[in-house]
Formats: sequence, structure tokens, C-alpha cells
Amino acid sequence: MTSGLTGDGEASAGKRALSAQIRRRFSGGFELAVELEAPAGITVLFGRSGSGKTTLLNCVAGLLAPDAGAICVGERVLFDAEHKLNVPVVRRRVGYVFQDLALFPHLTAEQNIAYGLGGLAVSQRRRRAQAMLEQFRIAQIAGRRPAELSGGERQRVALARSLVIEPHVLLLDEPLAALDLPTQSHLIADLRGWNREHSIPVLYVTHSQREAFALGERVVVLEEGKILAQGPPQEVLRAPHQETVAQLAGFENIFNAHVVSLHESHGTMTCRLENSTADLEVPLSQAVSGAPVRIAIHAGDILMAVECPHGLSARNVLAGRLMELEQRGPTVHARVDCGAIFRVRLTPGARESLALDVGRAVWLVIKTYSCQLLEREPQ
Amino acid sequence: MSWQALALSVKLAAVVSAVLCMIGLPIAYWIAYSRWRWKFLVESVVALPLVLPPTVLGFYLLVAMGPRSPLGRLWLRAFGHTLSFTFEGLVVASLIYSLPFTVQPFAAAFRSVDQQLVQASATLGVSRLRTFVRVIVPLSYAGIITGLVLSFAHTLGEFGVVLMVGGNIPGVTRTVSIDIYDQVQSLNYVAANQTALLLLAVSFLTLSVVYAVNRKVWAL
Amino acid sequence: MKTWRIGALLWLISILAWSAPGEITVAAASDLTFALTEIAHRFEQKTGNHVKLAFGSSGNFFAQIQNGASFDVFFSADVEYPRKLTVGGLAAAPTLWVYGTGRIVLWAPAGSSLDLKKMGMRALLDPSVQEIAIANPAHAPYGRAAVAALQSSRLYEQVRDKLVLGENISQAAQFVESGNAQLGILALSLALAPTLKDKGTYWEIPTDSYPPIEQAAVIPTAAPNQALARAFLDYVRTPEAQAILRQYGFQPPPGKR
Repeated sequence: MTSGLTGDGEASAGKRALSAQIRRRFSGGFELAVELEAPAGITVLFGRSGSGKTTLLNCVAGLLAPDAGAICVGERVLFDAEHKLNVPVVRRRVGYVFQDLALFPHLTAEQNIAYGLGGLAVSQRRRRAQAMLEQFRIAQIAGRRPAELSGGERQRVALARSLVIEPHVLLLDEPLAALDLPTQSHLIADLRGWNREHSIPVLYVTHSQREAFALGERVVVLEEGKILAQGPPQEVLRAPHQETVAQLAGFENIFNAHVVSLHESHGTMTCRLENSTADLEVPLSQAVSGAPVRIAIHAGDILMAVECPHGLSARNVLAGRLMELEQRGPTVHARVDCGAIFRVRLTPGARESLALDVGRAVWLVIKTYSCQLLEREPQ
Repeated sequence: MSWQALALSVKLAAVVSAVLCMIGLPIAYWIAYSRWRWKFLVESVVALPLVLPPTVLGFYLLVAMGPRSPLGRLWLRAFGHTLSFTFEGLVVASLIYSLPFTVQPFAAAFRSVDQQLVQASATLGVSRLRTFVRVIVPLSYAGIITGLVLSFAHTLGEFGVVLMVGGNIPGVTRTVSIDIYDQVQSLNYVAANQTALLLLAVSFLTLSVVYAVNRKVWAL
Repeated sequence: MKTWRIGALLWLISILAWSAPGEITVAAASDLTFALTEIAHRFEQKTGNHVKLAFGSSGNFFAQIQNGASFDVFFSADVEYPRKLTVGGLAAAPTLWVYGTGRIVLWAPAGSSLDLKKMGMRALLDPSVQEIAIANPAHAPYGRAAVAALQSSRLYEQVRDKLVLGENISQAAQFVESGNAQLGILALSLALAPTLKDKGTYWEIPTDSYPPIEQAAVIPTAAPNQALARAFLDYVRTPEAQAILRQYGFQPPPGKR
């Protein structure tokens, strides 16, 4: 079932890469303007709803024509505004799994999967469809219709249907959004397995960080039709430079502060948080004493202690009072007043073993490197 | 008992429905999916037979079929006689008269098919025509059957148009509605009632069968 | 105090109603279309009353009157329908009056290659004649006369398949005038009508080949305005009106002057 895998790694990955420069304006005023290189492998498109992710996918698929730009996969040109070239959807060999899956309700799972294989002989069609069903572990539901399938099974059928035609590019629009965690993990494993075998550019749209980290070799952050940042997920999402990206990536603590003192030999600097008495030691930057900075800390990066800890490597230990405690799903969200309000994420287990309660005196531990310095955005 | 007239009416309704199915599908497809800014003009023309009195339609059709109109002359030259007073003439007249009853339910059904399914089919490399056959039509069965039944029933009961272009020739253009009218005119009320009742029974039976079968269409 | 004002108003209205022009609705066979329109127009001018005319097939009107239609006068294309009405008590026998006799003619549209004067009834056998329009003999008197004429000329069996039936004599005329039928057996009154006069040629079918088409009028008992209806019929009896009838091809009724 492997196709076209030549084994010369980087070179062939580059040959099959998706390259897109797209400009598309809409009547409401929204404009998508991006320049994107996606090599073979999974590229995560990360952003809020309305940021243009689906529009981008539709342009690559050929369902929407950009106003200007070009789209190529390897050496194949799919769209070129200058040369008035626009390969119609049916010839693009782009696999697209829609957010709502768009499974044909009147066909069985097997018929759905075999749908795009019209050009082949009947026996070949059956063989390829069967192989797909087995690879995605849904052979037992081959004869059922979508209405009779579970969410995870439907998702697999949709994936199999797009992959069986051996596309040159795969587009996935929030494919795991409606599924529960265990099913999501299974599908992610299946997708990564398939990706290892086939090595084509995959654009994976999501607003879940977990998926971004689990799948993405690269993350592209979209906001209001523009690319804010791109790179490996650790960089883009864990060490964001822009506030919007920080917000999207779940950095719930964002503070204004000003530099109090610099410690060049240590590679750190001390900042006083605005309207408070709390100080944080953050990584050294080009700022001068007195300069304003904006600091972002991920809520999951903060440790909580019920007695003042000693002998830690962390440079920031702040005393405070627990103001609020709320369990949402598998996470406990806490708000602590240390002179500034900090949001902390804990496990329910931690809450229990520490016997946390509102009003309790606690200490927050924050590593220097957990403090991200954001670019001051023009207001 | 006017079996001949009833058989003629059923034959006319069947032929007209079959032809309307064939020409209605492409017209309805165009109406459902075209984005031409003057599309509303075409929609109005298709709907015209709904608002025109059948006798008016029949009258103008008669003139159009006659040897003085260019269309009539063309037909005359090709076939040696005009369309008027023939079964084929009734078919043509009924096609125009029942067109909206076919096209409108077809178009409504096509429009209600989830557009994303059509897009998915395109991304899987299937041409527009094959998408129409494999996705749009199967998901529109209810609307298609409705259109066919409506045009069948509508043609079965047609009177005004047939009166104007038929010429009341037994076995050729004397449909059951004309026959009943004749019998009333001739004061044969008993015969008129019998024929009317028979027509009612046949229509009811046809509709019942179709609606019963239609229930098995996909629950979406 | 108020009541006498209302009373005065009602009295005023009733006076106005009584002196307002009367109106009658007349149902007439299609062949009378032109003759009766002119007669009614003159009547309106003379008396200031209003005559509403409805033209159609006699059989149709007969059925409608039977079912309660409120026509003031019924001019049939035959004498049987009015007679049936009197027998059924739906019309007063004394009001039945034969107003004229109709004639049938062979009619060909202008441009037809048929010389009717030379060929007479044999024109019906010409190979160029594929459709012959007549009124439906099942319920139209002119249709029955046409069939009778065809039978007595021994042509009926030969032309039977070419017959195209109009719902009434007017529709038969329309079929042949539009060219859809090549020949028609129509009422003389229609052939003489201004709308058909110059559009074709006609040949009077010999009166001995069909029973005379006696045409009678009658006043239904359900007529809303009996008095005015009688006045109208009286007017049709006048020489002035009779002359108009003559002009449009209606012969005087047999035995009447």
C-alpha cells in the first residue's frame, strides 16, 4: 500500500512540498494574505475560528479561487493568478476531510471509501477499499451506513475515503473536535502511522494545543487572515513572542511590568509587576532599567506549595493567598493573589492531597524560563 | 363506459411524466445551481403555466401549432400534418402545462442536498455529471418522485388545454376529462358519474401506491 | 327621533333603485354572437336598460339553467333544449318562441385551393383535407345538422376519421379559421360575421340534406327580471331586430312572418 516512497528523505520531501501564496478578500472586509511552505509531514494550522484557516484549506483544495498568488505541490502548479491557471477541483488530487466529514449518507462505509476510485476496475476498487478498511481497523463496519456508525468510526471512514485516492496533499479541518479523548488518541496514532508511510504535506487545522503538540512537526499560527508565527510547536506555542499567539496557546497570565534591575552575569533581569508588589526574575533581554515589558506565564507552568519551599532551583517564589478554586473537566483552575493575580492549573489529585481551600496561604513557584517576554504590540 | 378515454388519459399522463422527468432533471439542476444574475427570468418562464389559464395557454398553443406560425409550418413540412388534433400535440401541450409541477419539486430537492457533499465529491475527483448521478439524484428521490406524481396527476386531470388543441377525436384526443364533459353536455349524467368515479379511483390508487413506496426513501 | 331619518333614507334609496336602469342576463348560442350583440346594443340605446350577454354552447347553458343558473332569457341553437326546460317546469311554455332558422355552410379559409362553389360537398373528399371541423354533435345542434348533412350526402363514413369536434360552433370556426382544420361545417351566421366574412369562402349546404335547425328562445322561471326579459323578447320580434337577424344569416322561422 505504500506509494511513491523513494526513501531519499529531505530531498524528496522538498520535492513534494506544498507552497502557497494566497490573497483573498471578502466582501465583509476580511482578507486572507499568507505565504506558506509546508513540506511533507504534518503542518498544524493553529488559530481562532474566523482566522482564515478553513478559507486557506478551501483555496488549496480549489473550492475557492484566490484573488492573487500561486499554489504548487512539488512541481505541479495548481493555481497561478498571473498566468490565469486554475486547476479545477476534480483534478487537484487533494484529499480533504471536512469538519462535518461530509460522508455520503446513502452509501455504506465501504462504498464511501471506494467512491473516488471510479477509474479503476471493480476488483481493484474492492481490494483498495478493503485494504483501507483494514488499515484503519474498521473492516467490521464496512457494510454499515454513516448513520449507524460511532463518531470515531465515521472519522476513520472520512479519513480512509480521502486517503485511498492517494492524494498529493491532505487537508484536515478540525478532524478530532467532536471525539472523546481515548478515540482522539487512537486516531492520532493511526494518522502518525499513516504519515510515516506516505510522507505527503498534511495541513491539519485545530485550535487544540494538545493535538498541535501530538501531531505537528510545524505549527503555523493564523490570526485575522495573516500568519503570526511559524515554527516547531515548542518554539511557537511554548515560547511565543506575540501576545495573540500567547493567548491562543493558553498563556493565561499576561502582565505589564517594568524592568527594575538587570543581572547580566546571571542572564536574568528583575521586573516589578504593574500595580503590585510582586517581582519576577525573567530571562535577560535588550531592555534597559525602567523599560516596560510584557510577561506571559503558562498557567500549567506554575507550581503551588502549601509551605514555603526551600532549596529550589526556581528563581521566583511568591507568597500569596488562594482566592478561587474551580474544577473544569479534568483540570482544576485556581486564582492566587500574590500582589498580582496569577492563574494556576492543577490536577484534582494535587488539590486533594494538599487539601487546598479558598483563603489558604500558598506559595507559587515559577521558573525563570517559564516567563515569556512578549513583543509590546502597538495599541 | 369510456375505457378508451380513460386509457388515453393514463397513456398521456405516463408519456408526459416520463418525458418531463428527462427534460426536467437538467433544467432543475441548472435552476438549483446556476448563479447567473438573470436566472430569475428563466424561473419565471418555467412557472408561467401555473398562473396562465389553461384555455389561454391552449389557445396560443393552437395558434403556434397551426400552419400560419413558423413552428407549425416546420412541423407540417416535416410530418405532413400539423401537431394540432394529434396525440403528440397533446403531449407537447401537456409538457408545457405541467412543466413547473416537475421542475419546481426537482429543483427544491436538489437545493436541499448538503453542498458540502457536492464539494467532497469534487475533491475525490468525481466530475459534476457523475456527482449529479451518484450523489444529488439519490439524495433527492423524495423530491423527484413528488415531481413525477404531481405531473402525472396534473396531466390526468387536464381539461382546458386539451379542449383547445385536442379536437375531441375518440381514441386519439378524447381524454377522460373531455369525455366526462361531453356526457354532461349530452345530459348523460349517469355515464358521466360513472366515468368520473372511475377516474377518481384510478388517481387515488396511483397516488397511494407512489406515496407508500416513497416512504422507504432514505431517512437523512 | 333618529328612526325617521333612517326611514327617509331607505325610502329615497328604494325610489332610486326603482328608477335605476334594469339589467338582464341573456344566455345565447354562439352562432348568435354578432347578431344578438347588435340587437342588444340597440335595445340598450332605446330603453336605457342594460343587457349582459353570455355566449356558449346551448347544451352548456341548458345544464346550467337546470342547476339553478339565473339567466333572464335563453336563446338556444335548437328548439329541443327550450322545450325540455318547459317540460321540466323550469321555463314557462308561453314564453317559448322560435326566433329563426339556422343554416349550415361549408367553409374554407382564404388561401385554400378548394373551389367550394364548384365542388360543393365533394370538397370534403379532397386529399388535401385532413381535418374537418364541426361542432360536437353530441350536444350542439349545428353539429347534429352537420352530421345529418354528411349522412344524407353519403359522405359520413368516408370523412368520419377526419372529423375534429369543437366544443361549440365558435370553437369549430376557430379551428378552421386558424388553419388547423382545412374545412369546416359552420353556421351561416358565423360565416357572415364581420370577423369571418373576409377570411374565407363558404358554400351553403342544400337545406334538404338536413332537418331544419329551428332555434327557439325561452324565459326561465328563475329569471330575476321577468318584466325586462319579456320586453327584450318583444324587441327581438320587431322588424328592426328581425332585419338584423336576417342580415346575419338567420332565416325567418317556418310559417312565421
